[in-house]
Amino acid sequence: MAVCIAVIAKENYPLYIRSVPTENELKFHYTVHTSLDVVDEKISAMGKAMVDQRELYLGLLYPTEDYKMFRKLHNSYTDIMCNPFYNPGDRIHSRAFDNMVNSMMMQVC
Amino acid sequence: MSRPPGRKQDSHKISRELFVLTYGALVAQLCKDYEKDEDVNSCLDKMGYGIGIRLIDDFLAHSDVKRCRSYSETADMIAQVAFKMYLGVTPSVSCSSAAGNEFSLILDKNPLVDFVEELPVERASLCYCNLLCGVIRGALEMVHLAAEVTFLQDRLKGDAVTEIGITFLRKAEDKKAKKK
Repeated sequence: MAVCIAVIAKENYPLYIRSVPTENELKFHYTVHTSLDVVDEKISAMGKAMVDQRELYLGLLYPTEDYKMFRKLHNSYTDIMCNPFYNPGDRIHSRAFDNMVNSMMMQVC
Repeated sequence: MSRPPGRKQDSHKISRELFVLTYGALVAQLCKDYEKDEDVNSCLDKMGYGIGIRLIDDFLAHSDVKRCRSYSETADMIAQVAFKMYLGVTPSVSCSSAAGNEFSLILDKNPLVDFVEELPVERASLCYCNLLCGVIRGALEMVHLAAEVTFLQDRLKGDAVTEIGITFLRKAEDKKAKKK
């Protein structure tokens, strides 16, 4: 179960960001931002390796989450990309994507 | 191009994604080129017409169909053979007039809208699949059947189903004319 899910464009701004409503949502946003550095590190370490789905999943900051979750997220993301009315770089406003994210977020009473 | 009739279509399979994305790119570009939804719709219809008048020959060459003797048979042919052959789906057909010249095709699945969740807000009256209407109209015209084909309902616009209405415009006077 996730507490925060974010999709970041290659220009380092968020296309989609959602967190479980708590007081320190900003902390999640900072965590996402700092994780971008880790992503950059991993990408430069990979060199010219073939980018397949397994390698897109660069690893976890903390070894807790499911690979399945990433896969689901990525599949939904590619469906968004295939929408002819979606322009790359736009914020993501999709009910199907929201529903998928909802199913993965932790339920907070 | 001469091909033996009844040849299987399997060797012509191409990627469904590529086809759907191509169609989407076409519609998206038309939306950029034309401000009004009506203009996009009419452009799609014209393009479809151009495809239909050519596709009919391919259809007749590849499907081992007998002559249709009534509008009802024609509508069935479109739904059960043509749609199946080209889009891999089989809409259900119903006759919606006592005169027997108006029919509805209800599409349960529509591959063209695989990746389109809903129409953009500023394109509320866009008939995304209007190309299909033009194709049907053009194909029917080539077998001497004048018809009006429009979308009566569209899931993308929030309706419960996607429904194409075909209205045959006059009795086929020449019964010997080959019907689709």
